[in-house]
Amino acid sequence: MKFRAKITGKGCLELFIHVSCTVARLAKVCVLRVRPDSLCFSPAGFHGLREAGLWCEVRRGAFQQFRMEGVSEDLDEIHLELTAEHLSRAARSAAGACSLKLQLTHRRRPCLTVAVELASSLGRARSVVHELPVQVLPRGAWRACLPPSLRAADASIYLPRWRTLRSIVERMANVGDHVLVEANLRGRMTLSMETEVVSIKSYFKNLGNPPESAGAPPNGDLESMVQVRVDNRKLLQFLEGQQINPTVALCNIWDNSLLQLVLVQEDVSLQYFIPAL
Amino acid sequence: MAAMLKCVMSGSQVKVFGKAVQALSRISDELWLDPSKKGLALRCVNSSRSAYGCVLFSPVFFQHYQWSDLVKMSENELDTTLNLKCKLGMKSILPIFRCLNSLERNIEKCKIFTRSDKCKVVIQFFYRHGIKRTHNICFQESQPLQVIFDKNVCTNTLMIQPRLLADAIVLFTSSQEEVTLAVTPLNFCLKSSNEESMDLSNAVYSEMFVGSDEFDFFQIGMDTEITFCFKELKGILTFSEATHAPISIYFDFPGKPLALSIDDMLVEANFILATLADEPSRASSPQSLCLSQKRKRSDLIKKKAGKNVTSQALECISRKAAPRRLYPKETLTNISALENCGSPAMKRVNGDVSEVSENSVSNTEEVPGSLCLRKGKSEASLNYRLKKSLIEKSLIYGISIENS
Repeated sequence: MKFRAKITGKGCLELFIHVSCTVARLAKVCVLRVRPDSLCFSPAGFHGLREAGLWCEVRRGAFQQFRMEGVSEDLDEIHLELTAEHLSRAARSAAGACSLKLQLTHRRRPCLTVAVELASSLGRARSVVHELPVQVLPRGAWRACLPPSLRAADASIYLPRWRTLRSIVERMANVGDHVLVEANLRGRMTLSMETEVVSIKSYFKNLGNPPESAGAPPNGDLESMVQVRVDNRKLLQFLEGQQINPTVALCNIWDNSLLQLVLVQEDVSLQYFIPAL
Repeated sequence: MAAMLKCVMSGSQVKVFGKAVQALSRISDELWLDPSKKGLALRCVNSSRSAYGCVLFSPVFFQHYQWSDLVKMSENELDTTLNLKCKLGMKSILPIFRCLNSLERNIEKCKIFTRSDKCKVVIQFFYRHGIKRTHNICFQESQPLQVIFDKNVCTNTLMIQPRLLADAIVLFTSSQEEVTLAVTPLNFCLKSSNEESMDLSNAVYSEMFVGSDEFDFFQIGMDTEITFCFKELKGILTFSEATHAPISIYFDFPGKPLALSIDDMLVEANFILATLADEPSRASSPQSLCLSQKRKRSDLIKKKAGKNVTSQALECISRKAAPRRLYPKETLTNISALENCGSPAMKRVNGDVSEVSENSVSNTEEVPGSLCLRKGKSEASLNYRLKKSLIEKSLIYGISIENS
């Protein structure tokens, strides 16, 4: 098993740091799947969609160098389990760096070595190396790492401006725990919450719907709102700290069962599933 | 007449003073106020005696600085001076120096006043429009500790900008207790302690290499790797934010303490940390600063005794601290001596105070790994000894830092 990758572009580096930090915020232990054309992060010990989970994919194009050799010819993947916070800490030390190198190594125990080359203010090179302990997962545990495959969503809609969405959800979180997310195939979205004393509702319109979602909604009416009630804090955790400018930001709703938020920027994609309460 | 201290500071001086208190609070829960003709020293030592901090404010730092010792004639006609023995709890003094930025902006003057016959320290802040804030803090009578450490005989000396240290600290997780500093004449590396990463299977090992030209001063006498407790580094970083002077690091071989200091003419800060002695079978905790017993009582009776003692101690340190290979035979024997004098010395100290002052220890028991202690400032009379044992059971030696 071999893995060696290097990022040297500034934008790609920032994206990678961002992805590691997001994963660390949403999961304590994660699984890093090294595939021939991408690197995927998934929550460890995921048992079906009963809890929120984040999947990330960083495609090969983000790396200037990417070489891997899987477990065997027909199973050309490596699955590593590691503490997400270790990776995010190591990645953060690469802020403003010239390059970041990832390599699977073995020193007393299997490690993911993160080597960062920094140029200090004087122009002199400084290097930082972190060895993160990892556990190589056996093939039996592989299936649990795949993202869920689902039927087409009942409604699919582009998200409103990120900052607006985040500040609304933040304020709602101060008032209550649940938020009801509704959307239809006419570009309308509603966020609402209710307690005994107050009810808050935010209306968004003209958001636009992704073309692929032109499937038929449950009762054939494009205007009807599809809804799902989710835990506000989970939603907020995902919305917070996102400083990227995604090229695509949309959400998929399965009526009364699941909310999926999808962000895509260049070679990186993030998918966050929140089950209904 | 009593030993007393009175000093006055302006707003910006209070900020530096407050930063010093904050920095020392990272080492210990207690702080000594120790005025002398050199200035006002704030001293503290941590509970495991493995880290010592001292910030000395010279008299010209203050707008007004006044202090005095109490000179007393004792029975055997020898003058003794009793200095101010003032120990404050960090919990009492730290909250007073919060919000330093707003203190700097709003106060016109700060006065600190205490006398050894009163039981409290009075800190007053004078604001505009005649507003005055007064704090009375009770202090405990306790002889301040000092540490003898001659920086000039260290084979390795570095001077760095605080930024570099701050960058390095970010790398290590707060769960890591110890870091190892490895230097060669050409480069500098700060890394996770090997002992620790072996014990915990889930710990990250990190290292940072910095080229020698990033340092303001880089003099390495011999390749060295020393390991010390990493939390205390943050203390000196806190203080470095207040001054803009670089941080100097003085160290030798493993086992000998490491000194970090900042000196900007008006204020001098010294943090002395014990380092792990170089022996594979030792437990993985830094050596306590060895509290070897010291000196005949008679030496200390004279007020000038300090000089004799110091020069002896210096001599002793320089004899043992001559540059040498990493694993000299002498070091190993010294370590075993250290082992012997480690806990027993502590026990002797904590147990019977009167016994402590009787004993004298020859120079051969001095070990390089120890911070030499000497009895400070004079205590000769029986009265004093008894009083001591009544007041405090903890260590009462005086120690001093010499910068010759």
